[in-house]
Amino acid sequence: MSQAFDLVMLALLIAMALAVARSKDLLAAAIIFSGYSLVMCLLWQHRGAPDVAMTEAAIGAGVTTILVLLAIGRTRRREK
Amino acid sequence: MDDLWGNIDYAAFVGLFCIGLYVVVAKQNLIKKLLGLNIMETAVFAFIVTSGMVDGGTAPIIGPGATGPFASPLPHALIVTGIVVAVSITALALSLIVEIYRQCGTLEADELKGAE
Amino acid sequence: MKKPLVAVTLAAAAVPMLIGVAALPRPGDPTAPAHTHVAAHYIEAGARETGADNRVTAVLLNYRAFDTFGEVLVIFAALAAVIAVRSPATPGGRADDMPGPGPGLPISPVVAFIIRLTAPFIALFGAFVIFRGHVSPGGGFQGGVILGALLVLLSLVLGRGAERPLLAVPLARWLQAAAPLAFTGVGLLGLALTGALLGYPAEPERHALRELMMITLDVGIGIGGAMIILGLFLEMRGD
Repeated sequence: MSQAFDLVMLALLIAMALAVARSKDLLAAAIIFSGYSLVMCLLWQHRGAPDVAMTEAAIGAGVTTILVLLAIGRTRRREK
Repeated sequence: MDDLWGNIDYAAFVGLFCIGLYVVVAKQNLIKKLLGLNIMETAVFAFIVTSGMVDGGTAPIIGPGATGPFASPLPHALIVTGIVVAVSITALALSLIVEIYRQCGTLEADELKGAE
Repeated sequence: MKKPLVAVTLAAAAVPMLIGVAALPRPGDPTAPAHTHVAAHYIEAGARETGADNRVTAVLLNYRAFDTFGEVLVIFAALAAVIAVRSPATPGGRADDMPGPGPGLPISPVVAFIIRLTAPFIALFGAFVIFRGHVSPGGGFQGGVILGALLVLLSLVLGRGAERPLLAVPLARWLQAAAPLAFTGVGLLGLALTGALLGYPAEPERHALRELMMITLDVGIGIGGAMIILGLFLEMRGD
């Protein structure tokens, strides 16, 4: 059970990282990265690291995303 | 090959690291490169957190009466500070990127090469 | 970059790493080096030596306090660098060179209401995580980033623009330096008490003082971290 959960999480992480790499829309890439961070934080919680998971949930999924969104708002949204 | 299957977690994080590296070297958009850098960072963090995991282990919070085994606290402490440093790097890079856009009007590395 | 070159770069990175991870001990192996050297000592003796049930906090504030000191200086320096990079605001406003959903974007009333509704609870949770960091999951960084995210959310609905900042600028500058200041103060106190920078008194009758020093560090890191995250956000927004 635990092993299966880990494998699902890892597959999800790789799929989301590939989606970030493939997306031409920077806004979409930033939102997918936010979800990626959240999955990462679930994985760490599952591995006995609640401190790290808490930090990652606030930083990776929250603050990093909003900083990237602000930067996109002040530049442009589409990748060429 | 057996060992690699047993360490499939680590192999997955190597995969994530390489996806991030691919984004950093192959994509031209600077914000995209920064997202790739963040993927590389989280892959390294996940690698180190996983190395602190122990079979059947719980979080290293050991009050009276808690019974082990416990995950190793040292990687966790390193990564907590590492995440906070990572967001500082991201913020500094993004403010540089915004400045570059204001000065040069583009975010593509190949166009920036021509636009002195 | 050329496609073959990218492929060669990726292969050059991936192949040695895969060979390396294949040779590592299996994750979760209790005999791996990650569990047998200092980590075992931290788990076994941490409560006696540091008074912190949460060993992550024990490592951050006690065993590796120098590292943490350097790290709070790093994020403080990052904020200083972000402020330095910002180009001076041109008179007559900067709205024209900020296309897209910039600072002028109105916030939906639903979002504003939910932020105002949840803010006290998030603040309580952040404070709990900071103050209980030595006995439950949490600590200065963890609670600090929660408070920082809360301040970012609040500054979406309150204190918009340079005219009405969330906090007065001089006060905000001091609070942004809270973490290095707390480390300096507690470090010098430790120097006076034990003869070692960031040393903690070990006598059993001084446990309350030791706990107070750790909580001071946690609160300093928490407030400083939250204010630095808010400062980064405000700089990026162009306030």
